[in-house]
Amino acid sequence: MNNNRGNDPYYNRYRLNIVHLYPDLLNLYGDRGNIQCMRMRCKWRGIDAQVTECNLDDHLSLASADIVLLGGGSDREQQIVCTRLQKIRQDLRDYVEDGGSLLAICGGYQLLGHYYDTADGRMEGLSLVDLYTEQGSPRLISNIVLKNESLPDALPYEIVGFENHGGRTNIGSNTPLGRVLYGHGNNGKDACEGVLYRNVIGTYLHGPLLPKNPHVCDLLLQRALYRKYGVSLTDFPALDDSLEREANRAVVSRFHSPLAP
Amino acid sequence: MRPRTLLAVAAAKAALTACHLSGRPGSSLPGRAALKIDPHIIAPLAADIRRGIIVTCGTNGKTTTNNLLCSMLEAQGYRVVSNRLGANMVEGVAAAFATAAKGPLGYLDADFACLEVDEASAARVLQDLYPDCMILTGLFRDQLDRYGEIDLTMKALEKAILEAPDMTLVINADDPLTAYLAKKSAHRIVSYGVSEKVTENVDVIREGRFCENCGAPLRYDFYHFSQLGVYCCPACGFERPQIDYDASGIRLSPQLSFDVKESGTAPVKISAPLNGFYNVYNILAVYSVLREMNLPTDRFSEILRSFRPQFGRGEVFHLGTNGGQRVLLNLAKNPAGFNQNISAMLQDRSPKDLIIVINDNAQDGRDVSWLWDVDFDRLADETIRSITVSGLRALDMQLRLKYVEIDSERAPDVEKAIDERLKDGCENLYVLVNYTALYEAHKYLEGLEK
Ligand SMILES: [Zn+2]
Repeated sequence: MNNNRGNDPYYNRYRLNIVHLYPDLLNLYGDRGNIQCMRMRCKWRGIDAQVTECNLDDHLSLASADIVLLGGGSDREQQIVCTRLQKIRQDLRDYVEDGGSLLAICGGYQLLGHYYDTADGRMEGLSLVDLYTEQGSPRLISNIVLKNESLPDALPYEIVGFENHGGRTNIGSNTPLGRVLYGHGNNGKDACEGVLYRNVIGTYLHGPLLPKNPHVCDLLLQRALYRKYGVSLTDFPALDDSLEREANRAVVSRFHSPLAP
Repeated sequence: MRPRTLLAVAAAKAALTACHLSGRPGSSLPGRAALKIDPHIIAPLAADIRRGIIVTCGTNGKTTTNNLLCSMLEAQGYRVVSNRLGANMVEGVAAAFATAAKGPLGYLDADFACLEVDEASAARVLQDLYPDCMILTGLFRDQLDRYGEIDLTMKALEKAILEAPDMTLVINADDPLTAYLAKKSAHRIVSYGVSEKVTENVDVIREGRFCENCGAPLRYDFYHFSQLGVYCCPACGFERPQIDYDASGIRLSPQLSFDVKESGTAPVKISAPLNGFYNVYNILAVYSVLREMNLPTDRFSEILRSFRPQFGRGEVFHLGTNGGQRVLLNLAKNPAGFNQNISAMLQDRSPKDLIIVINDNAQDGRDVSWLWDVDFDRLADETIRSITVSGLRALDMQLRLKYVEIDSERAPDVEKAIDERLKDGCENLYVLVNYTALYEAHKYLEGLEK
């Protein structure tokens, strides 16, 4: 893994700017894992990944952003973020409509939509994607496996993760991230999980979503690279993903075993 | 005593015997059997306690604090009932009481009850128990999927505390979440803390950085670890309580030592054969309780010296022909605990091997996303000669290490992992395990030591 990149023609020629939104508030479920995954998968390919942590009081500029991560927090923290984000709603819309990559998880996913209704009232969303969320009971907590049929250019293996959410999200006619094979998904009813809209991925699969789903990570990187440089990820050195795949398969196979996962 | 309670006591004892015969620890099952017969078995037995009942809550440090308190009291000749193996749900508390009851009338012959209680069980346990003191060690992110989120843990504990009859809350005032909880209640508050900067900040997860009272960001003079530190809220005036028992002059190696300042008295020197900054808090909590209950503390350091950490809380085993192989077993079940364990381990500058075991059974929490919030990059240290991962989530752990470019081996189970390192390691082995891996690792190491 510690290759000498000194003679690598790609080294530092390509740079991706990853913006991590409000890690001081939205970092409940190990979102650092997603950042770390993107960072290392860039590094191993000789792509320079710059991660900018944007905290609540920082000025946010999306002009140079290539990938934006909006993570999950508790309801109270989400409310604080929600108020803050309303001020840059138009900037975010322009970024998404221009094909910018955005990964939104848990609370961040709910914020993509029009609103999130809770017992304490309505939280206005960003209306970046046509979806809405209502609080439900009980919380949906489970390991989860998705059949990966929506990702256009990804490898055909499953998406695995862990979900823990009270909200029930309705994505209407949007494309889901995947079909639920095991677990609950968006609302526990329609067998859909997450949403895909332009280069936005919204999902309840939190924390280390990307390390065990390197195909999803690479999709984000691929789209960002293409938007910025017009190049494809396949132009870069291939990575050895055997450990990632083994970890992915291990979650899937738990559901095939007679012992409950 | 009511016949129903007597019957429940008998059932608990029968269950305990059955557990022992089948080689299990019997820390919860007898309680389950007793509660089935008498759901309020705790109340009449607790009424027999002569001197005091002390409950310990908080996400980290419960077991060590509670065991330390038991050792202190027992060393001074008191009889103590406790759940010191760490079975801290309502069943564990019921088991501790029921299996300790004596004679045909089920009398509980004890001066003190020292109980660690899980946050989710606190409301239920406090219905039947009237503690004199409750220690709150701090609230860290813990087993998220069992409670939903830390906010729910807070709510469960808050309910228990608000509804409990008058007691003294002995709190870790360096934790703003704990301080907020305590201040909201009408209970008398006694606080302990560390008002000087001791360690460089190592981790970046700061749950509870925002004022629980008004939502504004808290202002910190400095952090100790996680959200612990010296803080105040510039917006609403919420602040760290006045510290009643303040540790200063802290030294972390070769063993812990510090002074405790208490207003109106000269500082008291305390030293302990323990490692890790978090143990300063555990010791402070016990010291504060003893002082507040007017119990003697003149032999405090002396008793500490003979304290043997139990059941995987910094427990040391000496294996091999001359006991030359040192193995340290430690529970590490959330980011705060893991980061503190890594700090303590790296203070030992001799070569070492490391085994990490991660399970995701119900008691561990099914969700292992917290692994990504631990600063594992610090394991790239030249004193760490090898890392072996095992457990149900060994692959997750190995992947976590891969993403900080640290190589590791995988072993099918903890016994195999230990065997391998005893064979070819550097005679200094650290075993870090989460909850359900602890019993297995402990039992195996104990067997090897004999
Ligand atoms: Zn405030």
